[in-house]
Amino acid sequence: MATIKMILLIAVRNLWMARRRSLFLGGALSIVTTLLVLLMALSQGMSDNMIHSATTLTTGHVNVAGFYKATSSDSSPLITDTSKLKAIVEESIPEVDYVVSRGRGFARVTSETGALSSLLAGVDLEQEPALLDVLESAPESFYKEGGSDTIKGDVQKLKDPNSVIIFATQAERLEVGVGDRLTLRVQSFTGMANTVDVTIVAVARDIGLLSNFSMFVPSEVIQELYQLKPDTSGAIYVYLHDIDKSAVVMARLREVLHKEGYELMEYQPAPYFAKFGTVSGEDWTGQKLDLTMWSDEIEFLTWILTALDTVSFGLIGILVAIIAVGVMNTMWISVRKRTTEIGTLRAVGMSKSRVWWLFISEAALLGLIAALVGVLCGALVVLTVNALEIRIPVDAVRAILLSDTLNLSLKPDQVFNAVGVMTFFTTLSAMWPAFKAANLQPVEAIQQSE
Amino acid sequence: MRDSGSEDLIVKMSQVIKEYPLGKLKVQALRGIDLNISRGEFTTIAGPSGSGKTTVLNLIGCVDVPSSGDVQIAGQSTTNLSDKELTHLRLMKIGFIFQSFNLVPVLDVFQNVELPLLLQGELGASERAVRVKEIIARVGLSDQLRQRPNELSGGQRQRVAIARALVTNPALVLADEPTANLDSVTGNTIIELMKELNATQKTTFIFSTHDPKVMRQASRVIRLVDGEIVLDNDGIEGVVEATDGRGEVGS
Repeated sequence: MATIKMILLIAVRNLWMARRRSLFLGGALSIVTTLLVLLMALSQGMSDNMIHSATTLTTGHVNVAGFYKATSSDSSPLITDTSKLKAIVEESIPEVDYVVSRGRGFARVTSETGALSSLLAGVDLEQEPALLDVLESAPESFYKEGGSDTIKGDVQKLKDPNSVIIFATQAERLEVGVGDRLTLRVQSFTGMANTVDVTIVAVARDIGLLSNFSMFVPSEVIQELYQLKPDTSGAIYVYLHDIDKSAVVMARLREVLHKEGYELMEYQPAPYFAKFGTVSGEDWTGQKLDLTMWSDEIEFLTWILTALDTVSFGLIGILVAIIAVGVMNTMWISVRKRTTEIGTLRAVGMSKSRVWWLFISEAALLGLIAALVGVLCGALVVLTVNALEIRIPVDAVRAILLSDTLNLSLKPDQVFNAVGVMTFFTTLSAMWPAFKAANLQPVEAIQQSE
Repeated sequence: MRDSGSEDLIVKMSQVIKEYPLGKLKVQALRGIDLNISRGEFTTIAGPSGSGKTTVLNLIGCVDVPSSGDVQIAGQSTTNLSDKELTHLRLMKIGFIFQSFNLVPVLDVFQNVELPLLLQGELGASERAVRVKEIIARVGLSDQLRQRPNELSGGQRQRVAIARALVTNPALVLADEPTANLDSVTGNTIIELMKELNATQKTTFIFSTHDPKVMRQASRVIRLVDGEIVLDNDGIEGVVEATDGRGEVGS
């Protein structure tokens, strides 16, 4: 222990003695770490936005949905006997926070001046009061040119019959505001075209890219549009206390429902609207349940995260490689300058392995301190950016980042990983110079001074 | 070569040859040396530059190995020892004093002297502190415990080096021209100190020097020329006589 302390002391003091060199190299390491932290925070922020957006608009953490086929060529995304199914889910999943059933639809939405297509979420606000916590009304200026900064409308009014809540981006495209009327037109499952007129009761702030094609209506509107029985809905959304348990819960739920006698579709990690074609082509009739997780329902969006992570890590990889060359070079200089010291230490009885540790600990300490500084700087930038609520001015960037404001998110394990990765690579870069130092012959090392 | 009871011998060199490559040639730095040194001797190795003084010290100090022949330290042959075993032998049996002091610049006086004890790992912190302070007091640096080498004079640095060499109570202390970088007064003080420690602690000292004044302090003088021992005497007088009569010893 005392020897380790001595080795660390020598390492720290040598770093201090060569402080200009340490500062230069440590500074470079810190900058790369800060960059790494920011890229991780951006990726995590996007991921958080995506989860928040998806679990608010189009999916629960685990979904019990399914298809009903009156004939073998049908594919209606419906579940019947929703109340019974909901009770089974609630009883068999102790991890559950709450369970809601939602109607699902897809409509052509028309205003006096515009039209767009959107998914419809049929909501019973009595069942899911939590929805109101995540739907935040947007000031009029968000969607109307020259609009006031006051908030008009009330999300609570979604309890009213034939009401609708749309998002700011949709309001802007349809050129409508609170109190205006929209016409929803759908193709029913029997092949008839139905329409319902609805009144906008609130315009919500955008929740990522999905806000472009999602809107909320009371569940009765979906039933009316598709001519459904009262106990028929689109899906049961299961919200858990811990989203990370989704896969486990889904697997358990599959077993429970199978035992209860329900027919289940093969697990397919894709959103429900991507399964219409497959289901239509299958030769069966009646009800089959389809269980998915939140990540399956937004699988078509996760490529953005993958792309960002690939670019980020590619960039960081290049920077780490440059830094590694710098560390190696610096350690070489250190070994050359301290040849006499190495020889002396070897002569007085220091083993090769301890000399190796001496140089490794110097690099590891430099890497650790620089990474901690870098993480600290990164965390400060993250806090500042989030506090400033910077609005993203470009639509395309908003779409990519899945948010209208720049949202960075940093988790403790990411901080730990960033510090670990940078320290590891700095240490790794010092391995070879340290090995050469340890293998210097004491006599050669001593003779350098004479 | 002197003969002595083998149990009394701290160093025994038999037919030692050391060759160094010089391009395609090989240069013989030592040409079949036989040398016995007993415990408690205060011996100097003299000779002109390139005569092989440092090579002899390096071989005795186990920082180098002979091309042929055998070197025994405290009865143990070093010829076939691994690097790890040689390192352990140096740590446990040998102390080094260098011409350029070779202290670790980032450690203070106390820590420099404590280093070999830490590497040995045999004593606890409090015992180490007692031993280190005691030896530092013996070399007269009790007031400089927390000073770094760059805050000390040359003489003080060499005292620290002596304390570091002696702190483990080694059987043998090797000093390669310990006074070469010191003025004559300080150099003399250092030799006096080494002599005193030799007398009181019975530690064997072997040092190389060019300086006849320093040589006069030795109880035994071994003179090397071109890698061979040309004289092995009980004091400086014989060496002076054996040279050109002007008292010039070494280069």
